Amino acid sequence: MATVDDGPQDLPTGPLPSDAPASDGAGRRASLTAPLVTGGVVALATVLLAVRDPHVAGSYGGCPSFLLLGVWCPACGGLRATHDLAQGDLAGAWSMNPLWVLAVPLVIALWVRWLARARAGRSLGSPPAWVAWVFGGVVVAFGILRNVPALAPWLAP
Amino acid sequence: MSTPNEPQNPYGSGEPQQPQDPSGSPQYPSAPPPYPQGPSAPTPYPGAPQYPGAAGTPQYPAAAPYGSAPGGYGQPGGGYGVAYPKNSLAVWSLVLGIVSFVIGCGLFTGIPAVIVGNNAKKAVARGEANNGGMATAGIILGWIAIVLSVLTAILFAVLFSNADFRDMMNESYDTNY
Repeated sequence: MATVDDGPQDLPTGPLPSDAPASDGAGRRASLTAPLVTGGVVALATVLLAVRDPHVAGSYGGCPSFLLLGVWCPACGGLRATHDLAQGDLAGAWSMNPLWVLAVPLVIALWVRWLARARAGRSLGSPPAWVAWVFGGVVVAFGILRNVPALAPWLAP
Repeated sequence: MSTPNEPQNPYGSGEPQQPQDPSGSPQYPSAPPPYPQGPSAPTPYPGAPQYPGAAGTPQYPAAAPYGSAPGGYGQPGGGYGVAYPKNSLAVWSLVLGIVSFVIGCGLFTGIPAVIVGNNAKKAVARGEANNGGMATAGIILGWIAIVLSVLTAILFAVLFSNADFRDMMNESYDTNY
């Protein structure tokens, strides 16, 4: 179950705001700052999650979706999965939030690409619109499927 | 109106970003009124894009905000994807805004939704996109998600300072594995 301050959850979308123009020489340093700061914040959050176990109930608050509606949202288990990944427990992470486990390599790749393009003085650019729709569709579908009782053993946290 | 390229040159170097927006109202090009006579009175109007002949002028996607442009000004109608290269921004903003309401902690897609939405607005102002309404929707959804998340965080901070509530939470976790 994801919690209120679900730090790593911003990873998949973190690189996107970088679409701001990053062209002229003056903005070059600034454009490098954004990915580095983002990476630093995420790294710190990951260390915090690795040390302070989110498996302990309420350690990071609670998921409003689960508390109020009793359903697992697509991000539920994201903190615990991140904790497990940081501890090298891939199976544990997978059992918490498989979608997030699949997304993490993609997120890291996006961040590296963001950094590389910022170094070259270019903006990240925005992925095509159909990627956005697919992203939204996958998230929603995952949220629905993990609440289907028959699938919950595999998809729910 | 001698050659298609001629009217474009003065703007190609000078002000590529907002070629046809001298009035300074970026968002909603209500400007079409100046243009209807365009073809007959070419030069006084900075909005040179009614010369579709100069197809290789990517710095003029601004032609596009005129929804009726394809018909009214002889723009080739098939070029939407090219005419609005930044339309995907608003789509991202909207999708992120929607996802903010699907996940319990909307803060982490709500913030990007607002940022990307604002970039989409800028793209609309530059004439690189025409879906400002979609961007607005994304920004609004994003802000609502951010506010709700912050309120929820405050609520939980208060609740979790209560030992009884923590115990209740522990039980609810245990029964759900």
